[in-house]
Amino acid sequence: MSATARAIESGDAGLLPSRRDEDWRWSDLRGLIRAVPAPSPEDLAPLAASPFGNLAEAEMAIVNGRGPAGLTLAAGERRVVALRFVAGAGAGSHVARLAIDLGEGADLVLLETYEGGGQDYLADADLTVSLAAGARLERIVLADDSAAGVSVSRADISLAAGARLAQTVLTTGARRQRLETRVSHPGHGADVRLDGVYLLTARRHADITTIVTHEGVDGTTDQLTKGVADDQARGVFQGRIVVSPGADRTEARMGHHALILSDRAEIDGKPELEIYADDVSCAHGNTVGALDDEALFYARQRGIPETEARAMLMAAFLGEVIDRIAHEGAREIAQAWVASRLEARV
Amino acid sequence: MAAVQQTSEQVLELERYKHGFITDIDQEFAPKGLSEDTVRFISAKKGEPDWMLDWRLEAYRRWLALDEPDWARVNFPKIDYQDAYYYAAPKDKVGPDSLDEVDPELLAVYEKLGIPLKEQEFLAGVKGSAKYAVDAVFDSVSVVTTFKKELAAVGVIFCSMSEAIREHPELVRQYLGSVVPVSDNYFACLNSAVFSDGSFVYVPPGVRCPMELSTYFRINAAESGQFERTLIIADKAAYVSYLEGCTAPMRDENQLHAAVVELVLLDDAEIKYSTVQNWYPGDKDGKGGIYNFVTKRADCRGDRSKVSWTQVETGSAITWKYPSCVLRGEGSSGEFYSIAITNNHQQADTGTKMIHLGANTRSRIIAKGISAGHSTSTYRGLVSAHPKAKGARNFTQCDSLLIGKSCAAHTTPYIEARNASAKFEHEATTTRLSDDQLFYAMQRGLSQEEAVQLLVNGFVKDVLQELPMEFAVEAQKLVAISLEGSVG
Repeated sequence: MSATARAIESGDAGLLPSRRDEDWRWSDLRGLIRAVPAPSPEDLAPLAASPFGNLAEAEMAIVNGRGPAGLTLAAGERRVVALRFVAGAGAGSHVARLAIDLGEGADLVLLETYEGGGQDYLADADLTVSLAAGARLERIVLADDSAAGVSVSRADISLAAGARLAQTVLTTGARRQRLETRVSHPGHGADVRLDGVYLLTARRHADITTIVTHEGVDGTTDQLTKGVADDQARGVFQGRIVVSPGADRTEARMGHHALILSDRAEIDGKPELEIYADDVSCAHGNTVGALDDEALFYARQRGIPETEARAMLMAAFLGEVIDRIAHEGAREIAQAWVASRLEARV
Repeated sequence: MAAVQQTSEQVLELERYKHGFITDIDQEFAPKGLSEDTVRFISAKKGEPDWMLDWRLEAYRRWLALDEPDWARVNFPKIDYQDAYYYAAPKDKVGPDSLDEVDPELLAVYEKLGIPLKEQEFLAGVKGSAKYAVDAVFDSVSVVTTFKKELAAVGVIFCSMSEAIREHPELVRQYLGSVVPVSDNYFACLNSAVFSDGSFVYVPPGVRCPMELSTYFRINAAESGQFERTLIIADKAAYVSYLEGCTAPMRDENQLHAAVVELVLLDDAEIKYSTVQNWYPGDKDGKGGIYNFVTKRADCRGDRSKVSWTQVETGSAITWKYPSCVLRGEGSSGEFYSIAITNNHQQADTGTKMIHLGANTRSRIIAKGISAGHSTSTYRGLVSAHPKAKGARNFTQCDSLLIGKSCAAHTTPYIEARNASAKFEHEATTTRLSDDQLFYAMQRGLSQEEAVQLLVNGFVKDVLQELPMEFAVEAQKLVAISLEGSVG
């Protein structure tokens, strides 16, 4: 259980993670929240349509922490499910818990959304996901939290032999937001792709944190996170790849690339490698910089106004991550989601 | 090829840690343990003025309020700070003026160390091509500083810290603790309270120091800690290159070395600081060895100043060291080149901090870590750009090489960008020695050990070539010796 969930359930703000916790140094919650807000009431009002429209065959909505507690796919079953975490009317503080089990060879496309409306809340979502041998999960997350909301999501995913996980998290941040994924590969030959996109303006904050632990042999991890921070926004990426003793022939690659568009914005990165086996090949890269002046000049020279040219360059920059989404419908929605937010800037 | 052959010969010739001798010299100790009285004792021994004693006592009081840091990826039993000597000095000598006055036994030590204390040769009219001025620190006391006259002729002050406190109090008061504040961190604070000696360098405006300055540190006495303090000031447009070497005898218990190095650079100044650290690393089962907890920081106060740290870390049971650059002056630049080699049960947590505060500041980090045996090597670094650091630029490359099944290599970089014109690039890799390359080298007649040395030397070449020539040769041999027995 995450520290945030404990703090919300006990009503003790002193339990919230703070800057003094090494993994939370850029996403302090204790300094931000003096008192845990009152528990969120039940909200039975009907929901607006899912941001993923009618892509999903089934929809699970958790409103103010209340909703279904589990999803199980039998061996060989294939499904596309929308999972919605909604801060509904009168939201104060709430914890949502969900367990997802994929049987052998099952295949799930999970279309996950965080919907904050205009609320001011403290929300925590804890997901526990297990993939049996040969199961596949593609998880696409659209986080549309409120500018006043504080949102923490943590998914603990374990992969059995030959299981495959592909994940893409897209976020516009919140007052403070943490999207954390912990993956362990006890099985051999597990295959993981973990991607992220953050697009931040105003005073928004987003923290994408991943911890991947390779315990079995022949595992691969491929990570790419890209982000843009403007105004006084703050983007945080923390990625850790752990290769346990004996997890030989692990191949891991991690990339984090960010654009910083304002002198009051901030990008913090911590790509970590923790290696206890020798037959591995691991690498990470991290770059932070501004938009390329020459590319901007080129576009303007061809008659494209500066704001549009900037949006185009950003779309191209972030597009590399979105193109990696395998589910075609979800990829198109993600593309439109990013495009509409870039257009809003023009 | 010659270098490789030389390296392998060296390995055969030297079975284990070559600096592991103990010299029987009459030592003078402070009473065991740490208290205000210890601090007063050290200060009185050194005949320090009151302001210095007050400074130390203030540091001691602050130290009592601090907690030992635990964030580094190193494991060691809790240190009992009351179970060590905080001052040990070779008896019978108070600042000799020439080598003749130095205890011959001590000279023999340096001869064993192969330290270029070549002053005698120079006196005899032997003019060498390269000149080194040496300050040798034995346990807690600086025993000899060579070439002082020649340096004084150009206005360079190179002496022990205690001498500087006596003779240049205005410089010491102005700069001591200005880069690493007294209560900066636990070990620096301890050092501020009990430091006994170290080197002091002042290079006046416009002077290019005519020779390399060098300090050799050695811990000799048992159960004693070494706390040296180095302060280097490069005034406007001055240049100095400074080398540091460290060794210690083989002992079963762990000894603490907590040094502080402060570099101050004014406008257009440049300091090149090179370290070859070869403290006793403990035996192959991890028994004994030095705890090397060092705070090193350069403050580029002046515009266009430049600092370059180069380190070869092969010794110590535990290394906890982050030579840092505070890039305050406009257009100032910092460089960090590091090789950290761990074998057996050594643990190293080392890296750098590049703090960009001024406009158009640049920094470059090249760190190479090699782990073998059961050792752990961690690169930990910070690169940050303040909102005012327009046009700040950083390039970081960290590579780790793993040799063997039970070693570990970690990379923990922190990157904080806070303005739109900062440009940071970081890349890191972790791999083992390539089987293909090993096979290729062995196919051409090299033994496995030679092949490993050849590949490792290639891996660390980027850093070795930043070292002054004589040091580079020594460092290359050290690389080979440190990895001895790590394959097969």
